[in-house]
Amino acid sequence: MSGEDRFVLCMLAPALAILGLLVAYPVGLLVFDSFFKVDTITPHIREWIGLKNYIDALTSKRVAESAFRTIQYSIFALFFEFTFGFCAALLFTALPGQSRWHRTIFTLPLMVPPIVAGLLWRFLLVGNIGILNYGLLHLGVISDPDAIAWLSDEDIVIYSVSFADIWLTTSFVALVSYAGLTNIPKDLLEAARIDGANAFKRFWHVTLPLMRPVIAVVVIVRGVDAAKTFDLIWIQTQGGPNHASEVFSMNIYQRMVRFGDLGEASASGTLFLIVMMALAAAAYWKIWRPVHA
Amino acid sequence: MRSARRLNFNGIVINAAAFVLVLSYALPYVYLLMTSIKPAADVQQIPPSFFPVVISFENFRDVLQSSTLPRAFASSLIVAVLTTILSLAVAVPAAYVATHYRRRITTLFLLFALVTRMVPSVSLGVPLFQLLKSLGLLDTVPGLVLAHTSAAVPLALLLMAAFFEGVPKDLEEAARMDGCTRFQAFLKVILPIMTGGIAVTALFTFITSWNEFLYALLLTSESTKTAPIVIAEYNSVYGLAWGAMTAAAVLYSLPVIIVTLALQKQIVGGLTFGAVKG
Repeated sequence: MSGEDRFVLCMLAPALAILGLLVAYPVGLLVFDSFFKVDTITPHIREWIGLKNYIDALTSKRVAESAFRTIQYSIFALFFEFTFGFCAALLFTALPGQSRWHRTIFTLPLMVPPIVAGLLWRFLLVGNIGILNYGLLHLGVISDPDAIAWLSDEDIVIYSVSFADIWLTTSFVALVSYAGLTNIPKDLLEAARIDGANAFKRFWHVTLPLMRPVIAVVVIVRGVDAAKTFDLIWIQTQGGPNHASEVFSMNIYQRMVRFGDLGEASASGTLFLIVMMALAAAAYWKIWRPVHA
Repeated sequence: MRSARRLNFNGIVINAAAFVLVLSYALPYVYLLMTSIKPAADVQQIPPSFFPVVISFENFRDVLQSSTLPRAFASSLIVAVLTTILSLAVAVPAAYVATHYRRRITTLFLLFALVTRMVPSVSLGVPLFQLLKSLGLLDTVPGLVLAHTSAAVPLALLLMAAFFEGVPKDLEEAARMDGCTRFQAFLKVILPIMTGGIAVTALFTFITSWNEFLYALLLTSESTKTAPIVIAEYNSVYGLAWGAMTAAAVLYSLPVIIVTLALQKQIVGGLTFGAVKG
């Protein structure tokens, strides 16, 4: 081994050790535990049961519902974060003069801890004292301050809990998009204008195609993060009412902590990990590589 | 003349739209601030008012005089500081060789760090619980630091790698010519010019640990409860103690907001960059 190789290994070793101990080994343990029946609450049970945990997870109605809810939540949150964030970025680039103040204030939610965002939105939405319904009442949208039970109506709660997520991360989309928009060469847009393209055509034929990589990054990063969400929803509803806002990560947490069913929680955790890895692989092949190539 | 007036009109519309947008995103947090300085009895008044009629700091006094919140803040602070130190100590050298000595192992290593950012924390939390339990580290500061480090190291690695990419390789070669070993070149030449990047990475690592919720919920029970856990309890254990909750939330989030605003330029750059790369 050359001195250079030895140097590289020495510098890498502590990080390798930490990631090995705290990421690779636990993931191995997760997969290993998923083949056992384990009960952590009543006296020690631990027996090998092969794929039974996976079969149970894949055939359980509650697991399937929580997985479906995770998709509902992620798509809803992502759609609005992206729409609002991208529009904000377009507005900021179109602002005559500097948009520095606008951007500074708009970044505010990004610095708010998720737990605070969750509590805050619970406070804004909660029945009878939630100020959002009073605002809507003033605007004449609803006629009774109790008209919409944001967090206790089973049909809408999975969407209501995403308001906090949307509020928290729209500015992330806006900042990344703004950075992308300012990188578009001005002369391209100018050339299109001289060729007679109106504002909409310039946006559709010049801006949008050039923004494609940025949009792809934002959608994948935010999509994966939204699918992982735990704290924001936990704080607002703890998965209720009647499991109507229980997403996949919460379903795993509940089985682990409330029911002490480590084996089943591990099997679901492994499935979750596999799906996320597939998304990460897509992100790597589609986005990261071309940038570095 | 005509075109100037039209431009002006467009400018007014765009300005107004931007103003409404920014205002609507700032309002929820402003409402939190306003609520926290209302007397506790006024917080749940029906119908709610946006601005306080009477300004009172009793919510702040209540949470600061309780025994749990100050202790939780201390716990959060200790865990976040130790997590930051540990994460930077391992991530900075690794990020340096990963960007300046490209070979298969370093590429794989960076890829591994990138993939780790996609791991759902609950998937990692379940086995970490088992691991820390068997080591006797549940509900201890070292246990929580280890858990937070698992999330902080990949973030620190990717951010530092981005910063190191901007450092020319010649610098190190010049130092080697002057008789430095590789390690001395790293320590005496590279590190001193990286203080800005390291500071931003440290702040991010700190905030990640400060905000972390799920591991703290899983791995602590009494003695090391962190601030977010205690704040979350304001809305279950004590009934809906909204007044106390808003004051605690303000105390918990305001320091980070102030520091971030002060360092806004560097932070926003690091944030967009790190998040996109990660």
